[in-house]
This record gives sequence, C-alpha cells and structure tokens, in this order.
Amino acid sequence: MAKPDGCVVDLHPSAAPALLEVGARTTGRVDAADAPLRHAAAGVALAAVVDEGLFAIERALNFTFYTYGDTIEELREYIVENWRNAQIDDETVDRTREALGAGLRSQGVRPRVREQVLATKLRPLARPILVNAEANGVTRALPPR
Amino acid sequence: MAIDEDPEEHEVAALGVMVPSFASLRVVEIGCGDGRLTRRFAGAAASVIAIDPDADAVAELTAELPNVDARVIGIDELVLPAASVDIVLFAWSL
Repeated sequence: MAKPDGCVVDLHPSAAPALLEVGARTTGRVDAADAPLRHAAAGVALAAVVDEGLFAIERALNFTFYTYGDTIEELREYIVENWRNAQIDDETVDRTREALGAGLRSQGVRPRVREQVLATKLRPLARPILVNAEANGVTRALPPR
Repeated sequence: MAIDEDPEEHEVAALGVMVPSFASLRVVEIGCGDGRLTRRFAGAAASVIAIDPDADAVAELTAELPNVDARVIGIDELVLPAASVDIVLFAWSL
C-alpha cells in the first residue's frame, strides 16, 4: 500500500518484561503471559522482510515508555483492563505499596510501569527478483544488488 | 482514574526521529487505539486512515479527530489502492 518512496514505521515493545517501579526501585514485573513471545515474534517478522530483500532498515532506536498511576491499585486495574492477558500479582502490589509508603508518596512519586519499546523505520526496496530454485522447487526473492 | 501514559513524551520523540515532518503525507496507522499517537500527527498530515478492531477506542478517536478516516477493522480487512500512502505506521500492533 505504501508508495515506492514511502516508508513503514513500526513501534513495538521489546521482549523484555514490563517492570513495576517506584522511583528508581524495581518492585516486580507485569505478568503478561504470552507478551514476550508476541513481541519477539514482531522482531522476527521485521527481520524476515529485511532478510527477504523487501525492505531495508533506515533507522532503528529504542526508548522507554512509562505508564503512571496514582496508586498501584489503579495501575493494576488499568493493566488488567487494557493489556492482553496481563496482571500484577499480589506480592508485587505489596512491594510497590511498601515502597510508596516510605515517604515517597508525599514527595509526589507515583508507581509506574516501564516498557522498552523498539522503533524501526523501513524503506521498501525495488521490486525483488523472483527466482525459481529448481533444485528444491522453492521460489524465493533475491535482494536487489 | 488518573493513568498517565508517557508524560515524558519519549514515544513522540522517537516518532519525530523516524518521521521529522508529517506535512503533506498520507498516513495509514495500524492499531490506532484511542488515538494516542494519531493526535500527534493528524493535524499536519494530508490524510490519515486509522484502523483498530477495538470499536470503543476508535469511537474515542473519532470524537476527538473527526477528520481522520477511522475504521473498526483489523489489518486483514484493510483494502487500499497500491502505492496510495506515504507512511504505514504500525503502532504497537505487530
């Protein structure tokens, strides 16, 4: 659908687990059953279109994405309602509440979820050359020279 | 509820590195949700098609950004003419 001189931009979380933090202290992780696998699969999908010579990576970077709540209970509810198959376990909630209780709440520190996100910009390459590998009957695309 | 996503605007900064200007560009956003990212470029872009299977989220986007062509569909249902857009943006959707 993109023009030959257009581009594809992908943003997706890394396969690393999302962490609960209070200030600089990590209190646990978000239990997101299949998220690491899904996010790793996104990386594999990007690598595949590059390997097949369909796209070239023009730029890639990663950044940290924080989601804050006023309370850990609020964050927990948000995660359950808005993330796919995700939850925060009771022990993590307790640790987060305890960390917040150490005078930080009065300083305006809020609990947060930390995610590492990968951003990639890809450019479509010239139409790949299709060759028929007669030896094994597989048709594959060759990247342009 | 006071959930605050990316108040540091790291995501917007990253998008700005990837696409310094959306001016005059035709954009398709896959996985637009409620428009968290869409609102950052919709005003500058020539046109925006934003899709997401979540009807409630798309309704929020439409209420805020009526000029965006927002559709409650998945990527499998998206049909566009070849070479009709400048940027395809996958927003946390791969």
